[in-house]
Amino acid sequence: MEVKEIIDPKIIKTQLLGTTKAEVLEELANVLLKNDYISDVAGFVKDIYAREAQGQTGIGNYIAIPHGKSTFVNKIGVAIGVTEQEIPWETLDGKGVKGIILFVVGPDNESAQNHLKLLSLFARKLGNDEVVEHLIQAKDAQQVVAAFA
Amino acid sequence: MKIVGVAACTVGIAHTYIAQEKLENAAKKAGHEIQVETQGTIGIENALTPEQIAAADIVILAIDVKISGRERFEGKRIIQVPTEVAVKSPNKLIEKAVEVVEQQPIV
Repeated sequence: MEVKEIIDPKIIKTQLLGTTKAEVLEELANVLLKNDYISDVAGFVKDIYAREAQGQTGIGNYIAIPHGKSTFVNKIGVAIGVTEQEIPWETLDGKGVKGIILFVVGPDNESAQNHLKLLSLFARKLGNDEVVEHLIQAKDAQQVVAAFA
Repeated sequence: MKIVGVAACTVGIAHTYIAQEKLENAAKKAGHEIQVETQGTIGIENALTPEQIAAADIVILAIDVKISGRERFEGKRIIQVPTEVAVKSPNKLIEKAVEVVEQQPIV
């Protein structure tokens, strides 16, 4: 079981256009919809905000990990967005974010243990400063994937 | 120094494992032995053995929720913090653990 199995270049987007948290989340949600990971953008984004209300998802070092745990999820995965400019976000270190890691998870976890295990391995990587540094400098999906290798 | 820990966050998908990784890296960097159990959506992983717990100088609980098996740590030195503290300042947390071990004799 390897982390890269959970990474799908189709739902990685560098040079995000959005300049606010709302715009960026919507942008990523649209990419997810296009690739059949979710069934509804508005409903999915609403569920992300339900988790945002519980506490900061900006973990410092320019990284945010919003959680899309939602009934609108068809397929577990992780959308990754990279921006060139800092986006204002609620973070542990008070800085903005440049790397947005959106966890995409459905309500039924019994049948998804393998994927959730992969997500946990992926999350561990985010605890690693070197990975994060490479990630926020990535210019395309390939460089994002390489950051997690 | 020997450290054992447990990480557990509200949703059990991300913070738990980031905290685990950060704590392990920080402890190893400072020359300590560490094992961190995770309690997440996928259940308990990297479970601590009774021997590891017995041998540990201190227990670090990086948790946002009630964990299972907390009674295993009765009588041990314990530091409890929210996962975000382990994520934000792992090095400081390990320093604090050393301080506690030095200052607090086991009774």
